[in-house]
Amino acid sequence: MEPARGGITVRTAGRHAPPSRLPHRERACSPPTAEFYCERFEFPVVRWRQSAVKTGNTCDVEEEEDEEKQQWRRPERRVKEDRQFWMQGSRPVVEVVRLGLVSYQEALRLQQVYVNRHRAGPAHALLLCEHPPVFTTGIRHKPYPAAMLDRLRLLGADVQRTNRGGLITFHGPGQLVCYPVLNLSDFKKSVRWYVCELEKTIISACRRFGIEASTSPHTGVWVGDNKICAIGIHCGRYVTSHGLALNCNTDMSWFGHIVPCGIEGKGVTSLSAELQRDVSVEETIPHLLDAFRDQFNCQLTDGQTPETDQDTAQHHQRRD
Amino acid sequence: MAACGLFRSVSSNFFTVLPLLTRSATLSPLRLACTPYFGRTLSSSSRAAAALKFTDKHEWIRVEDDGIGTVGISNFAQEALGDVVYCGLPDVGTQLAQQDEFGALESVKAASELYSPLTGEVVEVNTLLADKPGLVNKSCYKDGWLMKMTIAKPAELDALMDEAAYERYIRSIED
Repeated sequence: MEPARGGITVRTAGRHAPPSRLPHRERACSPPTAEFYCERFEFPVVRWRQSAVKTGNTCDVEEEEDEEKQQWRRPERRVKEDRQFWMQGSRPVVEVVRLGLVSYQEALRLQQVYVNRHRAGPAHALLLCEHPPVFTTGIRHKPYPAAMLDRLRLLGADVQRTNRGGLITFHGPGQLVCYPVLNLSDFKKSVRWYVCELEKTIISACRRFGIEASTSPHTGVWVGDNKICAIGIHCGRYVTSHGLALNCNTDMSWFGHIVPCGIEGKGVTSLSAELQRDVSVEETIPHLLDAFRDQFNCQLTDGQTPETDQDTAQHHQRRD
Repeated sequence: MAACGLFRSVSSNFFTVLPLLTRSATLSPLRLACTPYFGRTLSSSSRAAAALKFTDKHEWIRVEDDGIGTVGISNFAQEALGDVVYCGLPDVGTQLAQQDEFGALESVKAASELYSPLTGEVVEVNTLLADKPGLVNKSCYKDGWLMKMTIAKPAELDALMDEAAYERYIRSIED
């Protein structure tokens, strides 16, 4: 019998390649070696690849993809095993875009650009930035009349109404703001799941600093009674925008002017406050990215920082 | 069987005299004779279960007799959202095209957009949801309705999924 190595190519499955479906009894057994597989089955090795990936075997036996073998493939219908395979074999790719210090309006405009990209197909992005001092509110307007917002403007901060969930919060220098613009069709089509995954990502990032954070009935990530990360999301047609804000070395005194997220009796904290040393946004970013990659089971690539446009008046996402 | 036949012949004579007896004793053979009674039951039950049509965005619309459609979100959607804490709904009189954004529901600090299933005008909005947004979770098909709208293009209704098709759709995306 010819050794399996040589002359057999495995075609790298793109995201849209439907895996071949073998009869159930054959799927139940996993061939230990490539030679066994090739002897037994004539056609491509999606199943073999599955077992290889599961066992971590990075054997590079290849197999030729034949046009007539397409007939063996089941019509494209996403079932549970298929999706797990796709996620293992080809995880969604998320582009990381570092914006640096940008105004809130500018970040909203750029988010909209990335949201619109999803119209042509999944184009996941993760925007990282910091903002000059700004207070933002969500779709619940009633608790925040205009007079109150004017008082906040007198403090020297910007004030913005947005279409995200959540109540009032503050963004400022020293706070890592992260806007994942994902199409949940490639993950799980549930906003509740998505928010939960974001919370777990932050808890994991905090753990890498040695901080034990947790969730509570109030959305967000807490260290005891103090919130270390605020979350507020908007989701339309399964495309997410807005995101989370993790306090690194933020000036906490800004929060004294509001009831953060409308929750009385709770405080705010930051990575620096918890670790009693200065933790900068730059230091936090790699930990957050690692946690995000692991939690969402995706691949991260570096994206081009887009040119910022100074004229943003017509791009406001304001909802009045 | 013979007793049924006997009963039938006996009861048909006594139908007008002993209506209670005939109805309780032999319901099925007398269905034809009792058509008005059963006809009323059937039509009222089908009105109560008036067909829901679903969109691929997990909204439902139920058309009432007066041509007004009631719109809400499906059970699948309310579970995926979590506990709704706020309903942002349109003003009465708003003109909507199919797939227009007409509002948002907020849950777990996430605002999710709502999309109009049909083209029409908003005639009523569920004001109870302002104080009790949780109705959307508790009773998404009845008390948790979101808005009522006119139906400008009834043809659009045919393109929506019926309940069986929607169940199949959910199964295909649930992974």
